[in-house]
Amino acid sequence: MSQAATASTPAWEPDRGIAVELRKAHVIQGEFLVSDDPELVMTTILGSCVAACMRDPVAGVGGMNHFLLPGVSGSEGLRYGVQSMELLMNALLRRGARRERLEVKLFGGGRLITGLTDVGSQNAAFAEQFVRDEGLAHAGGSLRGDRARRIQYWPVNGRARQVFLAAAESKVFAADRRRPAAPPPEDSGALELF
Amino acid sequence: MPVAASIHCLIVDDQQTIRSLVRSGLQELGFRTTFEANDGEEGLRQMLNRPIQLVISDYNMPKLDGLGLLRAVRAHPPIQKTAFIMLTGRADKDLVQRAVQFGVNNYLVKPFTVATLREKIEAVFGALQ
Repeated sequence: MSQAATASTPAWEPDRGIAVELRKAHVIQGEFLVSDDPELVMTTILGSCVAACMRDPVAGVGGMNHFLLPGVSGSEGLRYGVQSMELLMNALLRRGARRERLEVKLFGGGRLITGLTDVGSQNAAFAEQFVRDEGLAHAGGSLRGDRARRIQYWPVNGRARQVFLAAAESKVFAADRRRPAAPPPEDSGALELF
Repeated sequence: MPVAASIHCLIVDDQQTIRSLVRSGLQELGFRTTFEANDGEEGLRQMLNRPIQLVISDYNMPKLDGLGLLRAVRAHPPIQKTAFIMLTGRADKDLVQRAVQFGVNNYLVKPFTVATLREKIEAVFGALQ
């Protein structure tokens, strides 16, 4: 697992009424990223994978990971998810976060293809169990469902935005998961704020 | 009695999930007596109060980290010969080198399989069964 890179993109900020330089970092499967930059937005696209968006509101630092359990039963499969969560947590703690103040939003775990093993639900259940077992504050999010979703997360203020991809795009996304990462598709579907 | 069943192991990690994974792995290998601690300070307290033959400790922990625990163990004559295996991340090569300097017996890179756990323990204790 590695840390994601960041890039600058001009963006319209309706809350400010001005165009600002919005720094974006896309977190792909197997990566994680932490930051204390209030202008940075972390993005990812999730099918059956899960992203944990975690922050310490007092220290003003947060981060996102993106993981997929390999579908192996028992502890052999769980260790990848545990590793991803631990790397994110440890990176936050190194940046001044305190474990007891961490709040987590969980996204993803969808079932994009019916008929196959519901890997997404397994990923979602693991993430929920991890948050419970570790005594972390579960601050919301959106798990399961049958659509892919694009997530934006501002790690300092904890704001998260979810856009469901249209059903057709979700199927394309599911089919594309075995290919190299492609640029994010255009937004469609309902908008939810957290 | 198999070797594993006679070894009392202390698992030190601030994440309950990882302690559970290590404990279940040890049980698969035949360990019957395992104890757990949240951090290095609690781990050291337990070691001074009960017989422990093997410590499996994470590095990143509050209060007293894994390296601090290792140094404390090696500095206390009654427990200084306790076998010590450090859990590390992939990018922790410097940590492994420092741990070796302080007398770590072996290290385990996360994520690890039960087979790897066995291999690392057997490198210290010999065949477990």
